Amino acid sequence: MNPHPNAARPTVMHIDLNSCFATVEQQARPRLRNRPVAIVNRRTEHTMIVTCSYEAKAMGVKLGMSLKDAKKLCPDLVGLESDPPKYKYVYHKLMAIMQDYSAHVRMKSIDEGVIDFGESTAAMAGRDLADIGYEIKQRLWDEVGCAMNCNVGIATNRFLAKTAASLHKPNGLDVITADNLRDTFRTMELTDLTGIAGRFEKRLNAVGIFTPLQFLDATPEVLHKVVFKSIVGLDWHQRLRGWEVDKRDFPIRTAGRQYVLDAYKMPRHEVLRRLHHLCEETGSKVRSQGLVARGVSVHARSYSDTGRGWGGTYWHARHMAAVPFFSNQAIYEQARKLFEAAPVFVKEIGVSCYELSEPDDSQLHLFGDELARDRAVTTAIDEINARYGKRVVHSADTLVTKMMREKIPFGSTRYM
Amino acid sequence: MNDETFLDERVDVVATFGTGLNPCVPVKFRRASGRVIEITEIGLRHPTTAGKRMLHMFDVTDGGADYRLEFDAERLTWTLTLEADRS
Repeated sequence: MNPHPNAARPTVMHIDLNSCFATVEQQARPRLRNRPVAIVNRRTEHTMIVTCSYEAKAMGVKLGMSLKDAKKLCPDLVGLESDPPKYKYVYHKLMAIMQDYSAHVRMKSIDEGVIDFGESTAAMAGRDLADIGYEIKQRLWDEVGCAMNCNVGIATNRFLAKTAASLHKPNGLDVITADNLRDTFRTMELTDLTGIAGRFEKRLNAVGIFTPLQFLDATPEVLHKVVFKSIVGLDWHQRLRGWEVDKRDFPIRTAGRQYVLDAYKMPRHEVLRRLHHLCEETGSKVRSQGLVARGVSVHARSYSDTGRGWGGTYWHARHMAAVPFFSNQAIYEQARKLFEAAPVFVKEIGVSCYELSEPDDSQLHLFGDELARDRAVTTAIDEINARYGKRVVHSADTLVTKMMREKIPFGSTRYM
Repeated sequence: MNDETFLDERVDVVATFGTGLNPCVPVKFRRASGRVIEITEIGLRHPTTAGKRMLHMFDVTDGGADYRLEFDAERLTWTLTLEADRS
C-alpha cells in the first residue's frame, strides 16, 4: 500500500477519439462538418441516439435521447444510421498508429486505447510523451482525415491517463503528475471520475465525500471497511494516487447479443425467429474465439404499463448443459425451451452463452459421433460464410430477419 | 432521418493510381444519365468485405452533394451507392 502519490515519470498514454462515430461520419461526408449530427442504430424517429457531434451536444442533445426529442431541441439535427465497417476501419488505423510507438497497446473499446511506454524500448521511452501525443494527433489527421480529433491523456496509471484525456474535450492533451494531481482534482466533480456514478457516488456521499479531493484524502481504512466494504476500496486508494491497479486482462466469460424488437406486440412465432437469429450470431461469436459453451441464458423485457419508455418487467432464465456445445442449433434448442416461460408480449430479447472454455477433445463422450457430425456441419457452414459473406448459409427460419444488421460493438473489441 | 438516396448504379470513373498513403484517387465519374461529377474531396476511403471479396468504399463530394462510390477489387467495377445532402 503506497500512501503517497506516484511521483514516477508518467508512462501511460490514453487516446480517446472525440465523439468517434459522429466525427467519422463528418470526416466521410464533408457536407456534414460543423453541423449537428446524431448516430442512431435504426432509421426511425423513435430510436435512441448512440452518439452525437459536438455541434449537437452544444445544442443540448444527449446520448440516449430519442431522435424525435433531440430534433425538438435541435431542428437541424441530421440523424444517420450507424455504419460499423467505417468505424472498424478507423479503429484499426488508430491501433496501427499506436502500435508504431509501442508493442504494449491495449484497445479498451472501439474508440479508445492505452499505450504503456513503461515497457517500451529505451529509444521510445526516452522521448517526451507529450511530443508523441501531438505526433499521434497529426498522424490521425494525415492518415485518416482532417476532421478526426482525439484527446490524449498521460499519467502514471491507466485511470489517471483516462482522466487526463477527459479534461479538455475536444482535441486536448493533458498530463497528470504527482505535482498537479490535487490541482486537477480540484477542478472536477466526483462523477467526473471514471467508475464513480450512481451507487458508488451515494456510498461516498454517505461518509461525507462529495469531491475528488475529499475522495483522495480519505484513508484506506474508510474506503476499505466503510465505503466499498471490500478490496475495491484499497484499489481506489491506490488508483487515485497514480499507482497501477487496472493492468489486468479478463478472460472472455460470456458471448451474446440482444435486440429490441422491430414491431409492437410481436406474435410469438416472429419473436422466436428473431431469437433464432440471435442464437446464430451468438454461436458465431463463440466459435470465432475457438471456444465452446456449457450454458445458455435468455432474457426478455416486457412492455411497461404505459407501453412506452424503458420500464417493464425483466425476465431471464438459464440452463447448464451436461456436455459442451458450439453449434447454432444446439444454442437455439436450449434457448427456445427456456423462452417458453417468457412473458407473452416482449419488446427486447437477448441470448448469451456462458461457461465458455477451450474444447476438450481428450475426453470421450457417449455421443461422440453426434458431436463429430455437428462439428463437421458447423465448420463447413462457417467456412462457406467466411468465403462468400456473412449469413450466406443460415437457418430457413431466420430468412425474414434480415433487418437485424450488425451493430456497433461497444465495450469488447474481441470481435473487431 | 436525413436526405439520403440509396442507389445501385454502375458508373464510369476516372481515377489515378499513385503512391503514398492513399494510392487510389477517383477524380470524376459519369452517371447513367450522362452527368459528369467532378470530385473535389475524398472524405474517407475504407475497405470492407463481401465474403472474401474486397470492396473499397469511397465517400466523396463534389461540393454540391456527398456520394459513396464502391470499388469491387475482384470484379474491377465502380458502383454509386449513395447520394446525400444535395444542396
